Amino acid sequence: MNKAYVSKTYMNTWQHRAPAAFRLDRDGAMVRLNTETGGASGQALQLQAEPDFDAEIVMLRDLPRSSRRRVRWGALFLSALGGLVLLAAGMAVSSLIADLFQYNRGLGWLGLALAGLAALSLMAVAIRETMGLLRLATVEKLRDRAATMIVSDDRVEARALVHQFLHLTRRMPHLARSRANLQSHLAEIIDGADLVRLAERELMTSLDQQARTIIATAATRVSVVTALSPRAVIDVLYVLASALALLRQLAFLYGVRPGTVGLVRLARLVVVHLGITGGLASSDSLIQQLLGHGIAAKLSARLGEGVLNGLVTARFGLAALDVIRPMPFAALSRPTLRDIMNELLRSLGDRADDQQCSPQSDADHDESPLIAVP
Amino acid sequence: MVDELIEQIRLATKAITDFGIHLFDPTIRLGVTGLSHAGKTVFISALIHGLVRGGRFPIFEPLAGGRIARAYLAPQPDDAVSRFDYENHIAAMVNKRDWPSSTRQISELRVVIEFQSLSGHQRKLTLDVVDYPGEWLLDLPLLTKTYETWASETLRLSRERPRSDLAKSWHLHLAKLDPLAPGDEQQALTAARFFTEYLRACRDQNYALSLLPPGRFLMPGDLANTPALTFAPLDLPTEVPPPAGSLWAMMRRRYESYRAVVVRPFFRDHFARLDRQIVLVDTLAAINAGPEALGDLEYALNEVLTAFEVGRKTLFSALLRPRIDRILLAATKADHLHHTSHDRLENILRRLAQRAISKAEVAGAQVDVVALSAVRATREATARRGRQQLPCVVGVPLPGEAVVGEIFDGVTEVAIFPGDLPDDPNDLLLGDINAFRGLATTSLQNVDFRFLRVRPPALELTENGVPALPHIRLDRALQFLIGDKFV
Repeated sequence: MNKAYVSKTYMNTWQHRAPAAFRLDRDGAMVRLNTETGGASGQALQLQAEPDFDAEIVMLRDLPRSSRRRVRWGALFLSALGGLVLLAAGMAVSSLIADLFQYNRGLGWLGLALAGLAALSLMAVAIRETMGLLRLATVEKLRDRAATMIVSDDRVEARALVHQFLHLTRRMPHLARSRANLQSHLAEIIDGADLVRLAERELMTSLDQQARTIIATAATRVSVVTALSPRAVIDVLYVLASALALLRQLAFLYGVRPGTVGLVRLARLVVVHLGITGGLASSDSLIQQLLGHGIAAKLSARLGEGVLNGLVTARFGLAALDVIRPMPFAALSRPTLRDIMNELLRSLGDRADDQQCSPQSDADHDESPLIAVP
Repeated sequence: MVDELIEQIRLATKAITDFGIHLFDPTIRLGVTGLSHAGKTVFISALIHGLVRGGRFPIFEPLAGGRIARAYLAPQPDDAVSRFDYENHIAAMVNKRDWPSSTRQISELRVVIEFQSLSGHQRKLTLDVVDYPGEWLLDLPLLTKTYETWASETLRLSRERPRSDLAKSWHLHLAKLDPLAPGDEQQALTAARFFTEYLRACRDQNYALSLLPPGRFLMPGDLANTPALTFAPLDLPTEVPPPAGSLWAMMRRRYESYRAVVVRPFFRDHFARLDRQIVLVDTLAAINAGPEALGDLEYALNEVLTAFEVGRKTLFSALLRPRIDRILLAATKADHLHHTSHDRLENILRRLAQRAISKAEVAGAQVDVVALSAVRATREATARRGRQQLPCVVGVPLPGEAVVGEIFDGVTEVAIFPGDLPDDPNDLLLGDINAFRGLATTSLQNVDFRFLRVRPPALELTENGVPALPHIRLDRALQFLIGDKFV
């Protein structure tokens, strides 16, 4: 720092630069108005406009992670075993191709081509899976960071974070307007925590709404199917399958796009999360659920069972939401089980009404060609 | 004592009727206070403009989220109070690029906001905004002081530097007065005149002192030349009851009537019934002037803030004694410095109001501090020479603003680097040798900070004729103050 910039008596308390004022000349050069004559250092002054202070994107620093230095024998065993199996498969394939060449030259080439194709596609799948896993990890990291940012209120890092969110959601066409809004707000002076909340409101509102619908639809479907299904095995299989489908749908909704391995990992995370929270959000009281289930069960045992299965699916969906959503719930409220259940019961009621009323009301609704009653 | 009791009963009655009226049509009384030149008028104008014309408020969720259908001005509830001249204030800023003239009397405006609640119901929220001269605010502490305490405090303060220089002629006159002599109207008039002159000198830009009660002396309004405004502190003997008919007794009686006629009605009608409060503070002017002004500001802020009834809202308090449950302290004119220094400015204000903040928090109120600019008049730039960089703001200084060797004409655009604010706000409050130097004690050449006041920005008219005003964190202030009412 030039000596001329530091005031004399004041510098013993902190590094302080004296005030200065500059005027723009006609040819764009700067003229220093006060203190010593300008140009003492022989260099020209320049004024650089800052239309927005968005120009430099600071890369996020990695938070220190608690690292456990422990040899994971189980994983090592599995990896080693996997390696062996791969080697065996390689051996088998190469000997097969050799055999084929001995048998017939043409068949040999065909086998080689097929093997090459298999290797290529295996590579593609591996890459895709890795990408999926990486995306999953990114989302986790982003969520942690957003939560930190809301506490620390750091303007520069929050800005970088919002850029990452924009990047994450760049393939969602219906968020184009929200993204443009957010982009334009980045040029303004907004504090870190506010910026993260703003980004959440802009980007997550419509996604959350869709997620709610998706969970409610899945829960309803499970309720109806299990209420009608003849065997318990089918119930269990259907609940499991629809849980996986729900997970996949939610993951795609929030831009995670996990591969198959990623989906398995995600399912594990969700189950762990369910275990931690007990599957119970604080806003849902157990009593209310018991009551609700009890009344449904009184009406009909099958219906009660169906509602219970729907409830389980909804819980699973909400837990999945916590794991998949790339932002913590800060500005928007977390959907509760009650929201989902209300929607579920309402749509169940609608279906029941439909089934009962459709023959009678068909006369009034003759503009609906879908319900064709003979 | 009886006075107090009657006051309390009156307030309670008012609160109960308000409670009944507002049960179905919620009303917020937003108190906008601040010492003079803190920017109250500009803040209110910008706020109303933003609400009514739909400003750019990304952080104010109800507006940004599209839940506010419309907001419009409505006739105000108090017929005796003049209307806040919002249209002309905006016109002055937009057309003439002048800041609105400072507040000379109390005025208010009511805004009705139609919005949809989170659960989908159509609701209406009525927002009453009250504007009044900042000087009046300083009278509130007088409610708890007798004439004798006030006189001795004022005298003690006026004998400290830099006030003692300004109070010289008044002190000379005071020495000639005998408080025990029979009261004389002419003597009282002269004493009041000298006293008022001293107060006015303190308010000068170069000194920017804040603690100047009684406020009506500087802003008399329709009470000019009444006996209630014709008194002054006297150099009183200790422990003697004032003899009947003496100058002392006369001053004392007038002080009492000042409290009864001016301070108490103001407190009752406008102050005691607030729900939310924003206190605007021109911290930068005090830093311009020097450590004395900053110390004075600290004292004044804490005095003022103790006048508020703060605390968590309960049914009991809503019925009997309205309380303020959110206070926002705003360091205004944040556009006079680069955004990288805003956090430091906030820290300085937080440090200045520390005592009052912790008291309010203990009582259960939420307090936040924000660096704010209701109408942003500058843009940012960096001045570089070689490797040196100075974060500047670019704006047009008001005519008459000066740096060394230049007095601005109100047309030239300049880049200003106002000086580095310290990381630790305590560095500004150090005494003696380490203290920074302001305009009150040193020349322009040697000051450590120079925040120049700038003209309002040149705005482009939009298709409906009125531009949106640029701002800094006005939306954050709104979200904190009334955002939770839109549920």
